[in-house]
Amino acid sequence: MKSVLRVSGLALASLLLSSLVSWAGPKIVSGPGANPACFKPWSDQTKFFQWEKKPGPYRIAVVNGFVGNTWRIQMIKTAKAFADQPGIKENIKEFKVVSTGTDVAAQLGAMEDFINQGFDAIVTIAVAPDGFDRIIRLADKNNVVVVPFDNILDTDKVMMVNEDQKEMGRMSAKWLINESGKTSGDILEVRGLPGNSVDRDRHLGFREVMEAPGNNFKITEVVGNWDSGTSQKVTADALAVHGHFDGVFTQGGSDGTVRAMIDAKHPFVPMSGEGENEFRKQIADHYKEGLKGMSYGQSPALVAISIKAAISALQGNVMPQLISIPIPVADYKTLKDGENYWSNLSANFFAPNQFLPCGVTFTAPEIMAQSEANLK
Amino acid sequence: MSNSTISNAPFSEPRMSGMPMPATWPRRRLGGDLLIRLRQNIGVVTAIGLFCVIYLFYHFAHPKGFSSAVFVQNADEVFTLAMVAMAQTLPVLAAGLDLSVGAVMTMVGCLASYLMSGAAQGTPIEFSFGGTSHVLAVLPGGVIGIIIGVIICFVAGTLAGFVNGCVVVYGRIQPIIATLATGAIYIGIALFLRPTPGGKIDEDLNWALTNSLQDFASTVHIFDDGNAPWFAPLGAIPVPFILIVVIALVVWVPFRRSVTGRSVYAIGSAEGAAYMSGLRIDRAKLAAFTLAGFFAGCGGLFLAIQTSSGNADIPQAGAYTLNSIAAVVIGGTSLLGGTGGAIGSIFGALILRVISFFFRIFDIAPLLQPLFEGIILLAAVSIGALRVLRVKNTLELFR
Repeated sequence: MKSVLRVSGLALASLLLSSLVSWAGPKIVSGPGANPACFKPWSDQTKFFQWEKKPGPYRIAVVNGFVGNTWRIQMIKTAKAFADQPGIKENIKEFKVVSTGTDVAAQLGAMEDFINQGFDAIVTIAVAPDGFDRIIRLADKNNVVVVPFDNILDTDKVMMVNEDQKEMGRMSAKWLINESGKTSGDILEVRGLPGNSVDRDRHLGFREVMEAPGNNFKITEVVGNWDSGTSQKVTADALAVHGHFDGVFTQGGSDGTVRAMIDAKHPFVPMSGEGENEFRKQIADHYKEGLKGMSYGQSPALVAISIKAAISALQGNVMPQLISIPIPVADYKTLKDGENYWSNLSANFFAPNQFLPCGVTFTAPEIMAQSEANLK
Repeated sequence: MSNSTISNAPFSEPRMSGMPMPATWPRRRLGGDLLIRLRQNIGVVTAIGLFCVIYLFYHFAHPKGFSSAVFVQNADEVFTLAMVAMAQTLPVLAAGLDLSVGAVMTMVGCLASYLMSGAAQGTPIEFSFGGTSHVLAVLPGGVIGIIIGVIICFVAGTLAGFVNGCVVVYGRIQPIIATLATGAIYIGIALFLRPTPGGKIDEDLNWALTNSLQDFASTVHIFDDGNAPWFAPLGAIPVPFILIVVIALVVWVPFRRSVTGRSVYAIGSAEGAAYMSGLRIDRAKLAAFTLAGFFAGCGGLFLAIQTSSGNADIPQAGAYTLNSIAAVVIGGTSLLGGTGGAIGSIFGALILRVISFFFRIFDIAPLLQPLFEGIILLAAVSIGALRVLRVKNTLELFR
């Protein structure tokens, strides 16, 4: 038994050794970081990174996963527009955007290819919260800054940018409880794309508050894939089966869920959902009839902040390992036409797009009005 | 099927073009033999040619073209798809379609994320393996444990394929429907194993298998950590490339040459005729699906090792299934069955991947990339269809 332990100790030691040798990457330093108004550390425990300063301008790649919903398209357009903006443009020598689909091997491959090509930074929406160890190892070896955002990774070895997804779930739950004034009842939860961290964290945050002691909610869960059409269908199914809900929480495709309720002649109830312009229009139109809505927004402009963070890191600034972006929230009391929603625009897009502390100055309609050709 | 049997009957030309020549035929002159073989495998040859052209172009355009790092990256990215494409080839050769290959891949990947994660913290068997502690320190985490894990994964994939085969053969259900159902079951098992992505795979195993032979040798400490002089010229070869060659040579080639393998071709060519000729149809179909499960399992195992985790990702499973069919077609295997082969499918998978490589080098508007990918794919598939132009008798089109 003793020898067994010794051998396993040896094995473990050599494992640690072999992993330590070839890893370079960022130094862990003490804060505060650069530009704290924009790059706000996630919490007091957040580590700070510092990379070796590289001379600019830089080569930056955005490796998107899934493409094909409004959010991702708006994100890509925002990325292109931001990279072209004065103040950012001078720092970028080459800028590439690719989408690899839901295939993790293709995304890993694309990131590795950009590392091989000698890119300085890779901004990415990971298709899974795990599985990027090899890329992180390679990036550290080659001094490449990898910045996952939106669907971030379950690791503290890379710099990441996100809004607090759990908090979105929590604030949605609190909203439903406050607006309905009840601690029990039937609630519909429309979830997002299964398998990634955003869906998981919003769900966990929501359940944390709803299932707290003293509450007695019956929650029906359906999967809407963050997509209006899918959400509309699954909400219609849920309404057909359950008949009545006292409140609705949706992670996305929120306008589809509202439309299904209208179609089923379901009375309007308190609801919290994503930041789609269409959803905000619905709230503005129907809040008097009971659609007491709250709209939080995962902004597609996260990509712009991630690009900015990557440049800042390459310039040798001290950066928080996990950067928290405040959640832009609007509810039926604070919605204002032309400011946080646009009643005259019918194309669906995500309303929150401006982050002034980070120099992201364009509004969502400005972004969506630009065609691909203008952005090249 | 019976229709095509009849329409084929008047043509004496051997139509099971993927088949090796039966031994009883007199050997012809080498040149003529080669020409016939080329013509019989025109789909595969076209795929290889197309791949060579675009891949060379890719390397010339790449700032670090022809370097080991690029080859390694390419091999990593293509391995799983190539495996799943090989898996898809077998049912397609038998004029079926396997919609569960992506699901089997995902299920085995999720399984692997358990089997190879805990190895380091010691199931004692691994460490009490003799006094040969040096050998054990080679791949920390216990080589034996990992080997056992690999074997279990192989068995799981094979078993899944075997179940598919049983449902098709003994249940007498169309393969496309049977595998749609079993695929859902396998995805269900995968979700049961990994409701949320996670798991851990030995870091060095990941590093060793997803790199060049040089890195492999230095990670597992063989051949003087890969510094042996004779080893140097081989050092740049990617490990996944070696794996794929080994699997193709050890599993696929013997199968294709066996009676069972040729029966699979015969079934796809004309099932009725194959039956009347006394071939063991059931056994061949069962073998085709079982082997498909094995290949898909290999893909899942590698994906798990590559990502150091398991993820029951349903959209990803679907994407792999669809891409596997595309790879099979690009690789020169007819969806009607009877012609083609797994080697072609490997090249089909390569072509499919290389097309997307270009987006990383050239500046193509991101939202137009799927459009370009589709156009190039359509062109690639169309090249295989050019033979139609040379057809002398319209009846031949039905083959």
